[in-house]
Amino acid sequence: MAPPTEILKGTLGLLILRTLELEPRHGVAIADRIEQITRGTFTVKAGSLFPALHRLEQEGFIAGEWSVTDAGRRIKSYRLTPAGKQQLAAERKQWARIVSAVGLVLESD
Amino acid sequence: MPLWPKIASFWQTLTKGRRLDADLDEELRGYVDDMTARKMAAGIDPATARRQALAEIGGFDRVKERVRDVRIGRVAEETLRDVGYAWRLLRRSPGFTAAAVLTLALGVGANTAIFSVVHGLLIAPLPYADPSRLVFVWADQATEGYPRAPLSGPELTDLDTRSTTFDGFGAIWATTAALTEDEPEQLRIGNVTHDYFSLLGAPTAIGRTFVEADLVQGPPTSILLSAQLWRRRFGSDPLIAGKRILVNGRPTSIVGVLADDFRLLMPQDAAVPDDLDAFQLFDRSLPEFPRGQRFLRVIGRMRDGVPLAAAQQDVARVGEEISRAYSHYGAAGRKFETVALQADSVREIRGPLLAMLGAVAILLLIACVNVASLLIARAAARTKETAMRVALGAGNARLLRQHLVEGLLLTTLGAAAGMVVARWGLDALLALAPSSLSRLSRAHINMPVIAASLAIVFAWGILLSIAPLAEIWRIRLVNAIRLDAARAGTSGGHRLRSVLIGGQIAMSVVLVIGALLLVRTFLNVQAIDPGFKADGIQSFRIAVRAPNRDRALAVHRQLQERLAALPGSRGAASISHAPYDHVPNWGGPYTATSGTDASTAPQADYRSLSPGALELLGVRLIEGRSFTEDDDPTAPLVAIVDTRVAARTWPNESPIGKRLGVDVFVTGKPEQWATVVGVVEHVRHRSPIVEVRDQLYFSQRQALRNPSVYVVKTDGDPSTIMPAVRDALKAIDPTLPIYDVRPLSMYADTANATRQFTMRLAVIFAIVAVLLASVGIYGVVAYTVAIRHREFGVRRALGAQTLQVLALVAREGAVLLSLGVAAGTVFAAITAWAMQSLLFGIGPWDPATYAIALPVLLLAGALACLLPARRAIKANPVDALRAE
Repeated sequence: MAPPTEILKGTLGLLILRTLELEPRHGVAIADRIEQITRGTFTVKAGSLFPALHRLEQEGFIAGEWSVTDAGRRIKSYRLTPAGKQQLAAERKQWARIVSAVGLVLESD
Repeated sequence: MPLWPKIASFWQTLTKGRRLDADLDEELRGYVDDMTARKMAAGIDPATARRQALAEIGGFDRVKERVRDVRIGRVAEETLRDVGYAWRLLRRSPGFTAAAVLTLALGVGANTAIFSVVHGLLIAPLPYADPSRLVFVWADQATEGYPRAPLSGPELTDLDTRSTTFDGFGAIWATTAALTEDEPEQLRIGNVTHDYFSLLGAPTAIGRTFVEADLVQGPPTSILLSAQLWRRRFGSDPLIAGKRILVNGRPTSIVGVLADDFRLLMPQDAAVPDDLDAFQLFDRSLPEFPRGQRFLRVIGRMRDGVPLAAAQQDVARVGEEISRAYSHYGAAGRKFETVALQADSVREIRGPLLAMLGAVAILLLIACVNVASLLIARAAARTKETAMRVALGAGNARLLRQHLVEGLLLTTLGAAAGMVVARWGLDALLALAPSSLSRLSRAHINMPVIAASLAIVFAWGILLSIAPLAEIWRIRLVNAIRLDAARAGTSGGHRLRSVLIGGQIAMSVVLVIGALLLVRTFLNVQAIDPGFKADGIQSFRIAVRAPNRDRALAVHRQLQERLAALPGSRGAASISHAPYDHVPNWGGPYTATSGTDASTAPQADYRSLSPGALELLGVRLIEGRSFTEDDDPTAPLVAIVDTRVAARTWPNESPIGKRLGVDVFVTGKPEQWATVVGVVEHVRHRSPIVEVRDQLYFSQRQALRNPSVYVVKTDGDPSTIMPAVRDALKAIDPTLPIYDVRPLSMYADTANATRQFTMRLAVIFAIVAVLLASVGIYGVVAYTVAIRHREFGVRRALGAQTLQVLALVAREGAVLLSLGVAAGTVFAAITAWAMQSLLFGIGPWDPATYAIALPVLLLAGALACLLPARRAIKANPVDALRAE
């Protein structure tokens, strides 16, 4: 059985993939986006964001790319890879199953 | 999940760690800058904004560390870094590294060398096809003092026809034959049944082994060569199969050459040497030989799938059947024993080998303790560094891994050096081994041996690496960074070290006492009076070829006369067998009552002696007379009996003048009647430590054996007479083959060779053990002295006398020594009890031995304490105070 932190990590991964589905973003933008969509339910701290990003990158689901901003600063933004798209679809299905299964349990007598 | 990106990531983590880290830095800085900018936009001043941003991410380095932790290949990367670190540490203290590696190498090398012998002899299957199905069949004649006796020709046939669980039986008997080519030479021949080699599954290098069609009536017409003879005598001629050579003067065709690595590995008491030169077939009429003529050493191959117990029952049943079927076995019947060939072939060497294996295992233990002690001392010296690492958040797992890496790196170096030591060690071992242990050459440092040695040494390596951690755990507890780190590191690790060193002393006591017991055993065996004296006697073998017995006897008389008359010779005689060299043996039944069958009569070794031989060899004549020139073919047959025959046959009267039925001329019946003319003391000519068989002596002039052993007594070094002997022989007959030239004492040395070899090894191991333990004691005491240097200085400043300081140092050494010696004595008593089958003439708890061993260790321990004690005495009060 996986410890609870794994579930959290897994969820964060799913959220990051979903955030990157439309366009590449850099670290701060990803955190902002998650916070914005969840209306502040989830705030993503750097301490969990960056490990999650690098894990996803190492596993090949997202790819980091360096670019230079107008201000002349190098920033690293991430985009979803084809493997990441597949992974997102799979995790989505898995998440739906979990939600409906947990729902069933909660609604039973 | 895609595999390729993971592999790429793993590779990047290992090779581009620095770039990854730089990128990460930059990325995180960007993040912090963004957050700061955002806060500044909300009206916070720049410095506070930055501080808040940093506080929110919870520490720059912690984030970096957490990111690094999720990297694929992270563990491998850190381990590599640890290896690099450990390597630099080892290089920085070459003295420590050399000491540890050498100590380990010594322990590993000795273990690997001995284990290769144990593996080659005891564990590796015999070099035959499907060797687990091979058995050896003995006749049990324990009632005649002969528990492992050979079988007769008809009995071999009985086994073949009556047993149901065997593919077949084969037999061998060792004898000699003359190779009568240009340079005559006496060969050691194995007479075998035609299927002997096919039963063993022995491969040939050239040609084939024997087949049934090679069987003939009368002297054999074919011969199978050993690879050694083929090389030595026939220059490795590749076309030798089918060629003819002269054996005993008869043209004999070579059927083949056995494979180079083929060795006969029969039990040592089977009287079949490992190094026979060639093989010939028994006469076709072997099954019709007399039933009482027992000389065959029998092997059998069990049918596939038959368990040993079933085969043993089967063979025992055959024994019972023939006991009923043939009346001449009498009431006692005939008993056969079946044993697995693998186990039986190493029966005598197993005990000594296992003892040696135990000794080197203890040696390795001692070596490992020294290395562990060194590691603990070093860990203590690095307390500050460790404390710093702990304070900076290094986890237990991290510290454990670092120490494991260090310990295992050291172990790897030690093991690699150990393999080199093992190579030399094995060569030295083989050089030291007596020729009678020729099968030691089966020992090789091969994969199983290396694997086993490495498994053991790395198991030790892990323990060694963990030992210093006891120290580190303590540091975690006390948060040593606030303490005087150098002091904090001493007491805990030091206690563990002391326990280890005490154990090490105990182990050395075991080895020293074990070695001393073996030394005394060896001396006891050397001191045994075997019933003859070999001092100053030179021996050699001659095969006399003559057309008839009278001519042969004439040659022998002439030989004896000439040899006795040589300058420096104090007499010469001829005997049929050298003591301890009963190959080929000669023996048979004897009885005082006519009509007794050979099978029920007691058995004795027969020996034939020329006149004067008993006197020359110093055999004690108890009663009657010795042989004279008058006991010749024209006179009635006479015999001299040993005390065992006399006691068994005529317990309450003098044997002199009594008649004894014997089978000197090998007819299968004890019906040649000899008159007993003398009684001599039993001679231990088979083994110095046991009386094996009764002995009967015949006059060489009446019962001539060929070849014969000649013995020449000299005043000084016996071998100096050989040039004169060779000249004398050449004058009589230049073609006489002379061989086995050696002092007679060498036979006795050979009989005691395994014991001597074991003893030498044990002594070497014990010395090394004491040296290593002394180094261990020295290390611990020197360390204490170094730490208490200031204290000693202060004590001296306050007026402490030399002796008082000495006593302080000695106390620690003395406590270690006395506890170690006490524990060791107990272990030694247990060990000695376990190895008592190797001892002779001494009990496992011989007080004198223990009394000798203890001062040796105490002396070594005292010397080890002396050096550090000198430093303690010289402690200068001024230095000590100034250092404060």
